[in-house]
Amino acid sequence: MTDAIALRHVTKRFGAVTAVHDLSLSVPRGSIYGFIGPNGSGKTTTLRMIMHIILPDEGEIEVLGSRETRAARDQVSYLPEERGLYKKMTVRRLLRYYAQLKGRRRHEIDPAIDEWMARMQLPGVLDRPIETLSKGMSQKVQFISAVISRPALLILDEPFSGLDPVNAQVLKDAVLEMRERGTTVVFSTHDMGTAERMCDRIFMIFKGHKVLDGTLHDIQEQYGADTVRIRTALGRAAFEGLPGIESINDFGQMQELRLAGDPQLFLQRVAARTPVYHFEITRPSLQDIFVRIAHPGEPGPGADGQETEGRSEPVAAAQ
Amino acid sequence: MNKILTVATSELTTLVRSKAFLISLILMPVLMAGSIVLAQATRNATDDRHRRFAIVDYSGRFAEPLQMAAAARNEASGGGRFDPVVVPVDGRTADEIRLELSDRVRAKDLFAFVEIPASIADADAREEIRYYSDSPSYLQLPQWLRTTINQLVVGERFRAAQVDPQVVSRLTRPAGMSNLGLLARDATGGVTPAEEVDEIRAFAVPGVMLLLMYITVMSSAPQLLNSAIEEKMSRISEVLIGSVTPFELMMGKLLGCVSVSLLLAAIYAGGGLVVANYWGYGNAVTGGMLAWFALFLVMAVLIFGSIFIAIGAACNDLKDSQSMITPVMILVILPLVTWAAVIRAPDSTLSVALSMFPTSAPFLMLLRISIQPGPPMWQVLLSAAIVAGTTVLTVWAAGRIFRTGILMQGKSASFAEMLRWVRVG
Repeated sequence: MTDAIALRHVTKRFGAVTAVHDLSLSVPRGSIYGFIGPNGSGKTTTLRMIMHIILPDEGEIEVLGSRETRAARDQVSYLPEERGLYKKMTVRRLLRYYAQLKGRRRHEIDPAIDEWMARMQLPGVLDRPIETLSKGMSQKVQFISAVISRPALLILDEPFSGLDPVNAQVLKDAVLEMRERGTTVVFSTHDMGTAERMCDRIFMIFKGHKVLDGTLHDIQEQYGADTVRIRTALGRAAFEGLPGIESINDFGQMQELRLAGDPQLFLQRVAARTPVYHFEITRPSLQDIFVRIAHPGEPGPGADGQETEGRSEPVAAAQ
Repeated sequence: MNKILTVATSELTTLVRSKAFLISLILMPVLMAGSIVLAQATRNATDDRHRRFAIVDYSGRFAEPLQMAAAARNEASGGGRFDPVVVPVDGRTADEIRLELSDRVRAKDLFAFVEIPASIADADAREEIRYYSDSPSYLQLPQWLRTTINQLVVGERFRAAQVDPQVVSRLTRPAGMSNLGLLARDATGGVTPAEEVDEIRAFAVPGVMLLLMYITVMSSAPQLLNSAIEEKMSRISEVLIGSVTPFELMMGKLLGCVSVSLLLAAIYAGGGLVVANYWGYGNAVTGGMLAWFALFLVMAVLIFGSIFIAIGAACNDLKDSQSMITPVMILVILPLVTWAAVIRAPDSTLSVALSMFPTSAPFLMLLRISIQPGPPMWQVLLSAAIVAGTTVLTVWAAGRIFRTGILMQGKSASFAEMLRWVRVG
């Protein structure tokens, strides 16, 4: 079976700015695929090209096996980052309208509306105008509008942004359910924890270039086990002046360090200074990898015109 | 096509469910009727202010008759009085008298003053009555003075020529005139007499048809601009373009607008016909007129709707759209400023030209059709063809602009950019 999405050497320019440079990727059907990248890196541009909202200047894009714009339109649903809902419309009318635009019939839509409204914990709002809903409720309504037509491909741009933990969990469960139903889900996010936990594959774009593309395991393997998670009585002060520390990610109660040297030697030195409550040698988290790649001051991949795949150059060690 | 109809249906139901639509549906005819009634009422309303004016009669013959005429007028009219005051012509110069009276007018002691020259009754002298006031827009008093003094002067001239004014009046009585239509021969060979021209059929019906079309077009088409901007700025368009093509979206919105205007027209026209029938004018509007009305209405909505939706797609907020709307509004009001000229002379070169100009043709050709006997059929067909061609062109151009503009963020496009989008696509 063909991939849900296939991009081959896609480039997009806006005037003198190249937003996306020679990008190739494949999204397997039935997977959850995470798009990550700093603000302005080209994520949304890539998603919009996949949706045929804008067209690439070079390269090919296939969606559900077809390059023809219209063929897959009814099978693909899109949730933009800035929610697009008619404020004065009632929830019921809006959901019916968006589903009808996907070619669904009224008798199919209404039962699905009831099911999803219960599923997303939105009782009693069907006949309320959108403008009377809270942000979380309207985001859930927009999610329903995207999934109610049972798309084969679901593209979500920052679906969890601004949601409280409860609503975010409801949405995450719904995304997982869509995958179980056979829908391919592509979503962009700044929440690395969510991407780590939910995505089968992760793709990172930085300054218009692909810098990561693979499973979390494959990505972490490229960096090796150079990360230590530690919790001590002194906190960050426990490592002052110790050699071999390339960077420190301070979470307050716990720190995550990237070490250049032997972690066992490092443990001995720290233990000599303060009690150690937790010490774990691990691979870098996705957040750490993201920061390493996208640290300000880095020239970014492709500065010499060549694309890099997988591991980028390590960032300068924190002092 | 299904998706176009889905969008059109949504546009129609959204609008007709809105309170604004229902209010304007009821309010519009109430306001129109009210304004007509008010205009009539105020036109016939009497001016109840008393106007005190001075008479400076250098001829010495007309002051007293003028006073008597004013008294007779005051008794007959029952409204504001004209109160003349005779100012004696003593040894002062004319300018001294004028200055004094001007000061009295400024002080509100007088409203105006009138000078009757010494040789006014001499037809060869060609003297003029002079009226002085501080209210140039108030015409009742000077018009009455002009008529009344002239009557007195002419009467005096006839007396001086020893001609009986009453004989003159009888001999110069004008003959009346009836304004009639044409005779026709009926099926039995008899003669159908000419009917007297009815001003309502001759003027009111065409005017109402034009106004009805204008109101329905302007009630629906400009909404597309607001709708396009709203969808663009709230990113609804991004969601919609994921389901429909830009052209399908635009056509759906245009068709929705056409539906709304036809609905409005049907409601207003239906109500109007009921009222017209009640007053015996039910046959003033023919089936042919209604058919042309519907056709020209649809095309006018598509033309102006396309223009407004294209501007909406190219702009990022209402403020930016205002500068683009100005030239469009000139096209919009052209029929309104020229309709009187067309009614007066529907077959003049100007009327023919305006009923062929693409944006005014729907309104003014309909107007000409409504005025008996109507324009030649070739002109009607030519006008319809021009408008149809313009409709196709504007919808096509709007499609190109809409396709590019509806997803564009940041700076609003200029006219030059919009033209480039039309050319290049």
